Amino acid sequence: MTNKNLLGRLADWLDHRVGTRHLVHEALYERIPGGSRWRYVWGSTLVYTFTVQFITGIFLWTAYSPSASTAWESVYYINNEMFLGWLVRGMHHFAAQAMVVLMALHLMQIIIDGAYKAPREINFWLGLVLMLLVFGFSLTGYLLPWDQKGYYATQVSTKIAGATPVIGNEVQTVVQGGPKYGHQTLTRFFALHVGVLPVLLIAFLGLHLYVFRRHGITPADPEHAPTTTFWPDQVLKDAVACLAVLATVVFFAVYFGAELSAPANPSEPYSAARPEWYYLFLFRFLRYEWVEHLGLAFGAIYFPGFLFTILIAMPLIAHIKGGHMFNKVYMWLVVIGIVFLTGLALYEDKNDVEHQLALQDAHIDGERIQELAALPRKIPVEGAVSLLANDPFTQGPKVFAKQCAACHRWDGHDGRRRFVLSTVKLDGEAKQILTEPTATDLGQFGSREWMTEILLNYDKVFAPLKNAEWYQQAKADDDLDSVIDPANSEMAEFVKDNHEYLSGNEEDLKAIVEYFAKASGRKDLEPIDEKLATRGEAIVTGEEGELSSGCFDCHHQTLDEADSYGYPTLYKYGSADWLKDFITNPGGGNHYGDANQMPAYTADRLSPHDLNMLSRWMIGDYAETEIELPRVMKPADVEIDEPTEDKAADGE
Amino acid sequence: MTEPTSENPTTSAQVETESQGTVDPLSNDEPRRFFMKAVIAIGAGAVAVMTPLVAGVLFFLDPLLRRAKGGGNDEFIKLETTVDALPADGTPQRVTVFADRVDAWNKFLHQQVGSVYVRKIGDQVIVFNATCPHLGCGVDYRPTTQDFFCPCHTSAFDLEGQKKNDIPPRAMDILEAEIRNENEIWVHYQDFRAATAEKIPV
Repeated sequence: MTNKNLLGRLADWLDHRVGTRHLVHEALYERIPGGSRWRYVWGSTLVYTFTVQFITGIFLWTAYSPSASTAWESVYYINNEMFLGWLVRGMHHFAAQAMVVLMALHLMQIIIDGAYKAPREINFWLGLVLMLLVFGFSLTGYLLPWDQKGYYATQVSTKIAGATPVIGNEVQTVVQGGPKYGHQTLTRFFALHVGVLPVLLIAFLGLHLYVFRRHGITPADPEHAPTTTFWPDQVLKDAVACLAVLATVVFFAVYFGAELSAPANPSEPYSAARPEWYYLFLFRFLRYEWVEHLGLAFGAIYFPGFLFTILIAMPLIAHIKGGHMFNKVYMWLVVIGIVFLTGLALYEDKNDVEHQLALQDAHIDGERIQELAALPRKIPVEGAVSLLANDPFTQGPKVFAKQCAACHRWDGHDGRRRFVLSTVKLDGEAKQILTEPTATDLGQFGSREWMTEILLNYDKVFAPLKNAEWYQQAKADDDLDSVIDPANSEMAEFVKDNHEYLSGNEEDLKAIVEYFAKASGRKDLEPIDEKLATRGEAIVTGEEGELSSGCFDCHHQTLDEADSYGYPTLYKYGSADWLKDFITNPGGGNHYGDANQMPAYTADRLSPHDLNMLSRWMIGDYAETEIELPRVMKPADVEIDEPTEDKAADGE
Repeated sequence: MTEPTSENPTTSAQVETESQGTVDPLSNDEPRRFFMKAVIAIGAGAVAVMTPLVAGVLFFLDPLLRRAKGGGNDEFIKLETTVDALPADGTPQRVTVFADRVDAWNKFLHQQVGSVYVRKIGDQVIVFNATCPHLGCGVDYRPTTQDFFCPCHTSAFDLEGQKKNDIPPRAMDILEAEIRNENEIWVHYQDFRAATAEKIPV
């Protein structure tokens, strides 16, 4: 003792008081019969993954704010603004998924090696408790960002809890802190996620490790190699495996990043709703109608409960002759079932155009809200959900699809990148076909391209009107004069008369278009070529150029004048103001008058808010976006000749 | 069974302790190989644990690492009072300062961000931050003794803002102020670090 250095004496001092050497021995010099093996690393990687979750979780806790109007916002702030927040959240997000995978591998290895058999039954059961706790973590954690994805996925979980026999409703109400989701749902889930579950997990993990050490590992093959000790051989393998887990998690965090979809909005359906991938098998199972016929409680509670009960009973089953073989076969059957159902769910989603479109929508909304939240005005106190609700880029297409797309199109689709389809009987077979538009395609409305098209190809722009029932009726009645006829109206005549002049004088055509671009006052058409616009004004008023008549000989330049009856006003033509006036009163004297066929979208049909969103979206009046909208997807079983593509190409 | 001690180890591995001076009998390795394994194991383990920990600590230090843009607010704020409305005899008036306030992900418009005392002296105004330079309580104006008094630790200041006792470390903080358009009072509202003899903006 006397010849020892200071460090050695300190170690002695501590050992004498707390028995450190014994503890270190216990921890490090466990016997590993048959030598260290890679197949033993799963338990250690799970402990490690939990450590990662514990560390990153505590740090995320320092920035997370659990309430319905701050949860999404604080997660956005963590993810997009705080230093390395994306990495800390990304690691927490992907390590959680790694934990599920590792847990499955651990369990499988335990069953295959027979490590659940006597005298290790209790430890097996402790492990199953830990597994349930991990599921509890993932379930509660999924809701915490309070985004659409977590919100709607968790709704399903709590509804399943509500399907519990007898006390279901009460269970659900207590779990979500009231009859509906709200602040209290988050505070409860948060308390479970960061308080109750961690304490339970640490306690059960402690027991699990204690009992594990009592019996030691179950050698897969004691003759595999000479017996060794945990330190350093197995520790080395464990450490390398943990590092591999970390590398995988960090890779996912860097290259994919933890998703944050749009903030939860109970009034905005989320058609892309899916549970986390490791619950997909159960999701797909509940989609079988025969399962539903047996009742939700059967599919979501009794049947999984039955499978789990057999798992619990495994150590007892092993006592029976052939029991271990039964357990292994059972395990593989369940694994195959889960893999099959998961694969089926993924495959079906991949081939489901509606689901893919919903995913695109969800992705666009998620990207968009992060653009809006990053603007200098920041997030309003009532929460980020109001940002999307008041964003023309987000709401405009929805209004268009709902209100306008029955007749109009937007670059060939319904505004939300869906083709307008109708079902027809063809040779006794129901088939989906593209519905012919009965009004103009407004994808370019009010732009320079639009004005150019009107001046050169008026009949082409308005040609879809000929598909309309009223047009066909008027044609049959030989009464086309009373309606707008794309081929024979006054405007059509004017365009025909001036076609030679306008198609031959590109500069004059450009000047006219530039004048209208300026007159619209649209921000998205800036910058304006002032000189050109002045020249254009001179042409449209007939002072210069060779138009057969001036535009304002028929059309007026105010919204309220009635003496230009039936000639659409050119006051700020192509602007949101013009659109709003037109949409609310297309049959007004300053628009189409008696010839009008479009329904008036008065406030009782289209709320002022929706009208505002629609008009501003149509003219591009919204916060700038860098989102590239995906191409319109063609449903697999619909035959579509490709006119839409030609049209889009023409427009550009 | 008696509790094992390090003198009497009963580990499952049944190894001899270091103190008995023998090499671990279960180690199949020559010392160099053992050493290499140990180093790699410890190294890999350290990287695995330190990565989330360091990322987390840096994340926690976000307020230091990512100073908010425009932290030094140089803008003058118009007070909701006028020169004419101030008492001619120089009696201090407490005025609430309104400004837009950014708090993490929120921006609150027109919030009460603090208060100031304004005195009119001739055609000039003098503006004090109403926060005590001692430890940050709100300073009261006492009409009876015509001075400023902090109810927390009894700091006292005269009407010029000078210390009347030795509790506060410095005089009350005078803010830059301007009279614009003859009647409007604009002030460069700032808070200063507490408990320092110097006036250091925060």
